[in-house]
Amino acid sequence: MGNKPSYTVLAVDDNLLNLKLIEKSLSKEGYKIFSADNGPDARAIALKENPDLILLDIEMPGENGFDVIKKLKDSPKTNAIPVIFLTGVSEVDSKLKGFDLGAVDYITKPFHPLEVLARVRIHLKLSIATNSLIADQASKLRQVTEAQVSMLPTPEDNPDALFGVYYKALEEAGGDFYDILSISDKITGYFVADFSGHDIKTSYGTASVKALLAQNCTPVYSPAESMKMINDVLVEILSDGKYLTACYMHLNRTTKKATIINAGHPPVVCLPVDGEPYLIKMTGDVLGMFKDAQFGTQNIDVSEGDRFFIYSDGLVESAKDKITWASGAESLLPVYKQIAQVPYDKAPAELVNNLFGHNALPEDDIVVLCVKV
Amino acid sequence: MDFKDLASRLGFDEDDFKELVELFITTTLSDIDKIKNSVQQGNSQDAAAASHSIKGASGNLGFDDIFILARDMEMQAKQGNIDNFGAYIIDLENRVNALNNI
Repeated sequence: MGNKPSYTVLAVDDNLLNLKLIEKSLSKEGYKIFSADNGPDARAIALKENPDLILLDIEMPGENGFDVIKKLKDSPKTNAIPVIFLTGVSEVDSKLKGFDLGAVDYITKPFHPLEVLARVRIHLKLSIATNSLIADQASKLRQVTEAQVSMLPTPEDNPDALFGVYYKALEEAGGDFYDILSISDKITGYFVADFSGHDIKTSYGTASVKALLAQNCTPVYSPAESMKMINDVLVEILSDGKYLTACYMHLNRTTKKATIINAGHPPVVCLPVDGEPYLIKMTGDVLGMFKDAQFGTQNIDVSEGDRFFIYSDGLVESAKDKITWASGAESLLPVYKQIAQVPYDKAPAELVNNLFGHNALPEDDIVVLCVKV
Repeated sequence: MDFKDLASRLGFDEDDFKELVELFITTTLSDIDKIKNSVQQGNSQDAAAASHSIKGASGNLGFDDIFILARDMEMQAKQGNIDNFGAYIIDLENRVNALNNI
């Protein structure tokens, strides 16, 4: 037989009889009991043993119950342990103060052992249910992350698209996303977007945009027409205040022409095969906010070996250092030159490493695409 | 005083209850010593704290007469009235010691 989980209770009271009474009544029901007759010992045991629940007397010499709970709640290792106060019947103010300090309940003294047992059971059940709810929500968020990541095409699955990618979502429901659209054998669409917000709704939004891209980025429509149709649908379906900045690059490797549409997004960087990197600056409205939005559009002649970097603002912006993407993008141009010899599929990760180091955590989600003509 | 009945009310068997009573006697006599010292030193606050401790423990075991006595002592001590504690202490000691004979 496997070990059954044993629930642990820490009883704290300066009266040894009360401690013994609690210990006897709970241990015979299968609980493991730790006892302390003063505040400092109680806190030390709570830290070491991490009990499932604490029964805490208020009136104790030296460190009283209020002092103890304050310190327990201040410590990340003990602040989630439910605390039930043991208090005298007439001490209404004490009860209210106890709740204010984070107690989940109180037991009036003199107490009946069976009442203690009943309250311990109730609060352990509540605690188990709460922990289970938290674990369930965390699991669902992880599923959202996995679903989001599974929607992102990989270079390995799209070898003809000749791109490399770096993608990092800071939270479970990331706001950045990208897509690669195979419009025909030699025509590929590259889309990078940044949703406002990082919540669950955002992750549903990314699924909608992906579906809209598949429907509207076809040889029949020009890149500008595709973006306009996607915008018009998003205006209808996105909730109030939601929008996305986006950049769409339509690359025809036969005609050697690229069309870039910019919707309020940081500028694309072009690294010509034998030239200096430069920004393709455009102004344009964001996507999904207005029906008659105007996007920046630029047509560019390209050469084989040219590279384009399409990225989200997390790469070039820093709220901490007060750097906006307008100034950040310009200042990073020399870095693109430094990584010109890095293979295109490794270039995004190398770029991020150059900027943030291998272990540093960026302030925001980041997506970087490097597209090779 | 019927220990068997008191034990049953608290959900214990008689042996467990007797063990608790022994502990009660020890801790309460210790608290009574604290009260005596507090009275000698004129420290009503400490006398109230020790009375409070006896009140809680006796109430938990169902020793109502001791509970009422300790409650009165705590109330008196909280008001600073410990001059007449001599009689209280004798009464308390007698009642606690009497538990040894049951």
